[in-house]
Amino acid sequence: MSLQDIAFYFFGFIAVLSTILVIVNPNPVHGLMYLVVSLLAVASVFFSLGAPFAAMLEVIVYAGAIMVLFVFVVMMLNLGESVIRQEQAWLRPSTWIGPGILCAALLFPILRLMLDGHHTPAGLREIGPKEVGIALFGPYLLAVELASMMLTAGLVAAYHLGKHD
Amino acid sequence: MADDAAPNTGLQHDIVREVYRRFGEGEFRFQATIDGMPTLWVEAGRILDVLKFLKSEVQRPYRMLFDLTAIDERVRKHRDGQPASDFTVVYHLLSIDRCNAKELAGGDIRLKVGLVGEKPECPSCISIFKNANWYEREAWDLFGVVFTGHPNLRRILLPPRWEGHPGRKDYPARATEFDPFLLDQMRQDLDQEALLFKPEEWGMQRSSGDVDFMFLNLGPNHPSAHGAFRIVLQLDGEEIVDCVPDIGYHHRGAEKMAERQSWHTFIPYTDRIDYLGGVMNNLPYVMNVEKLAGITVPDRVKTIRVMMSEFFRITSHLLFYGTYCQDVGAMSPVFFMFVDRQKAYDVIEAVTGFRMHPAWFRIGGLAHDLPNGWERKVKEFIDWLRPRMDEYEKAALKNAVLVTRSKGVAAYDAAEAQEWGVTGPGLRAAGVNFDYRKARPYSGYENFDFEVPLADVSDVYTRGCLRAEEIRQSLRIIEQCMNNMPAGPFKADHPLTCPPPKERALHDIETLITHFLGVSWGPIMPPGESTTIIEATKGLNSYYSVADGSTTSYRTRIRTPSFAHLQQIPAAINGHMIPDLIAYIASIDFVMADVDR
Amino acid sequence: MTLPSWITQETIDTAIKSVQAVVILVGMVVVSAWMIWLERRLLALWQDRYGPNRVGPFGLGQVIADMLKIFFKEDWTPPFADKAMFWIAPAIAMAMMILGFMIIPLGDTLWIADLNIGLLFFLAIAGLAVYAVILGGWASNSKYSLLGGVRSTAQTISYEVFMGISLMGVVMQAGSFNLREIVHAQQEQVWFVVTQLLGFIVWVPAALAVTHRTPFDLPEAEQELVQGYHTEYSSMKFGMFMVSEYVGIVMVSALTTTLFFGGWDVPFVDNEGWFLSFLSFSAKTFIFMCSYILVRAALPRPRYDQIMAAGWKVCLPISLINMLGTAAVILWQTPGASS
Repeated sequence: MSLQDIAFYFFGFIAVLSTILVIVNPNPVHGLMYLVVSLLAVASVFFSLGAPFAAMLEVIVYAGAIMVLFVFVVMMLNLGESVIRQEQAWLRPSTWIGPGILCAALLFPILRLMLDGHHTPAGLREIGPKEVGIALFGPYLLAVELASMMLTAGLVAAYHLGKHD
Repeated sequence: MADDAAPNTGLQHDIVREVYRRFGEGEFRFQATIDGMPTLWVEAGRILDVLKFLKSEVQRPYRMLFDLTAIDERVRKHRDGQPASDFTVVYHLLSIDRCNAKELAGGDIRLKVGLVGEKPECPSCISIFKNANWYEREAWDLFGVVFTGHPNLRRILLPPRWEGHPGRKDYPARATEFDPFLLDQMRQDLDQEALLFKPEEWGMQRSSGDVDFMFLNLGPNHPSAHGAFRIVLQLDGEEIVDCVPDIGYHHRGAEKMAERQSWHTFIPYTDRIDYLGGVMNNLPYVMNVEKLAGITVPDRVKTIRVMMSEFFRITSHLLFYGTYCQDVGAMSPVFFMFVDRQKAYDVIEAVTGFRMHPAWFRIGGLAHDLPNGWERKVKEFIDWLRPRMDEYEKAALKNAVLVTRSKGVAAYDAAEAQEWGVTGPGLRAAGVNFDYRKARPYSGYENFDFEVPLADVSDVYTRGCLRAEEIRQSLRIIEQCMNNMPAGPFKADHPLTCPPPKERALHDIETLITHFLGVSWGPIMPPGESTTIIEATKGLNSYYSVADGSTTSYRTRIRTPSFAHLQQIPAAINGHMIPDLIAYIASIDFVMADVDR
Repeated sequence: MTLPSWITQETIDTAIKSVQAVVILVGMVVVSAWMIWLERRLLALWQDRYGPNRVGPFGLGQVIADMLKIFFKEDWTPPFADKAMFWIAPAIAMAMMILGFMIIPLGDTLWIADLNIGLLFFLAIAGLAVYAVILGGWASNSKYSLLGGVRSTAQTISYEVFMGISLMGVVMQAGSFNLREIVHAQQEQVWFVVTQLLGFIVWVPAALAVTHRTPFDLPEAEQELVQGYHTEYSSMKFGMFMVSEYVGIVMVSALTTTLFFGGWDVPFVDNEGWFLSFLSFSAKTFIFMCSYILVRAALPRPRYDQIMAAGWKVCLPISLINMLGTAAVILWQTPGASS
């Protein structure tokens, strides 16, 4: 087992663990912090797989920007004890057992595919930002343009919603 | 001066004749006062009509409620010809137009309402003068005068759980006359609870529509509250929806102290009213007592008083200048200005022997004459400060960030300023050419050549610029004092001068005893009433003294500019943001000791 | 005597690099702590005062005295605070700023991590550093702290956007995110402050904002919010916030040097030794650290909404124009790209 492998499993384990904690933690802000940890762990997994560019974008965009806004909103809502009780109520088995079964059903085919062995191993070599850029603006140009159009639509909508009458 | 021999009906004053014509002479009783200010007694039922008439119907109206206070008359001996009254509410109105026109009556009018009983009631005049609000609360707080129709008649200077009305004559003045004070846990909890802000009491809502307001308690300990000042903000985000200033954390009861100190020994207390004003605070008090005593002071005294007062105007304005920059976030200027203040205090110390609170003026003169070589020190200071002022203007007032932070913030116009009783640079910034030194010169200000800086609209920026310019004008005045200092004695030759002139003492046992009593008990002022107003560092400061023929004042009312200015805050700041409030507070230039007294 | 088999060339290199990393980072933290002294002395110089001049020569020992004091102060957590978050916030502040320094090359051979995504790593760290302020503000459970946290969030989000974009011109010209290669590119071409002047102009406010220094110290504006997000902090937790601010200054000054002023490059000298490189780098960084202090001494603080407006309406368009312009010029100069 190489150093990369150890790193991969270590960060993978942290990601899984912190994601579980996001779900079971009754305090919204603490939950969000676990989510940040989970994102950072996933970024580290990317790193260990030789995709540092993806890792950094994960941190900058998700952990550094989107989650900050989440925390911001939760902070402003000033949620108190009542929310924590509500969260705890949602953690009763009768609430989560249905969705849990559905998720397990989804997990099964994924595991099957993974154990199948018909996939190329990642992390054979490091993919730098330049290569990512060449790929994005070469073969995947159409997808990039579509995504940018979607983002523009989102921007316009946000502007419209945020505009004072 | 009122002539005591002839029956005085006040008909020599135009305004009195006008009021008589409108309401009939029978409604009023004229009272002659030493200061010559027209003083009319009115029935409580008619007071609102008279106030309304004076504010909006007469020619050159009295737009400003300058002061409102109460007197406990129950143990007063000399009330010759005044209507029966247990408590008297005193209204002091000011007409800037009349003042500037240099009318005989002086642009002021005093109205008195006599009230009878232990729980006297008087109609509230908030509907006419907005700024009556705090004054009426104060009169209720200290004297227990109930103003019917007042929306929020609660304590203002004293804590909410205080018992009794300390301004009254039957309320003891000394701690030794009370049971020992004990603060146990229960009392502390109750006091704390009473200080908790409850928005409902002030007609505020905790939320509106989909907005939950945040109530932020700014002060009484906050870096930019300039003393123990508390203001509760109702916030929507960082925008101030409404706010409630809360004062009284610095209240010492200076007016009550005046009733137990002798006329002479009260002078040091005046220094601490506006603690940045130094001897400037002595000035209205000693001039007022001199009026009561009938003392005319020599020219040298007048000029020295002007010079030292202007020195304190400079130190006070310099402190303003520094903290003003500090409060918009500029760190350095305050240090430069403190250096300048030290230089000014060096001169003040050389002259008076003390730095911040010299208590140097005396009834009828000064504590001592100017020291040898004073001109050199004064000149050094003037030469030092002038170039520095130019530098500050370039570095601070012309700084783009400061300008964008302050222009148009907390702006008000001349009408609003008068409605709220704003005086001083805050009023002049709104374009009102009203400087008391020019309008009603005192202590020889008519002999000096200086300009009154003005602006068009009073906002944070213009208020700052005006004060910077006033420093320059003060330097001019000081320079003129230095170049034209009259020779002569530093004390008036009058028996009531304090301390009494020694030359009068050493003749026989009789003069010696008179001197001894004059020094130990203090002088006895003849009965009478008088008000003296001056242009202090922060606006108009006035002392209204009632002498009852004894060694102490019967009632001393201290009208301070800062009190009025703080009351205006909600009217000027609502709709702005927190940093604007801080800049605005800085631009008011107030001192909590001046507010609470 | 033979060496054990596990001591290969690789492990020796790793050990040397580790020691080097520790030395650089510890040195940087010490320098940052001493910057408190530097700031106080310089401010005093500009404000006609003396500043701390009693402890040791020139008052240099003041920092040690302050640190000792702050260590032994009561480490108080308010009972109304959210304990876990309250404790973790200063640690985040400190850790992020130190991590950010990791990518900066002090010389051609003097560096800790030679990441090929170096600059992105800095942006990521800047994004994460805001958690310290937010969590500190929220966990204190005080209204002033909360307002500080709110301001900080809004400010950081706004300034991160164009901070990233303003640096893209540099990245394009160098053709790499790697800071060493950016310096090499400057050695070959010119210092990027010449070609990327617009980018530099936008970077300056962004750099001030990322360290929460005047005039961007709104999250802790003393006159308005008492101390903003760290109002409730005391003792070493406060000390960590405090030192992290200065670590941030050192880090951002070093980054400015690297990105725009040729890093360790000495003009007209072809092959600087490690010592000359380090000297050149330190001198440049020191100048930027001092200019941080000068800005604090000289400028008032704009209002919060004015700062936001300046960010979105002035800096963002400028940085976008700069990026497009740089791209156009590069495209024009590249042979065969226009076809």
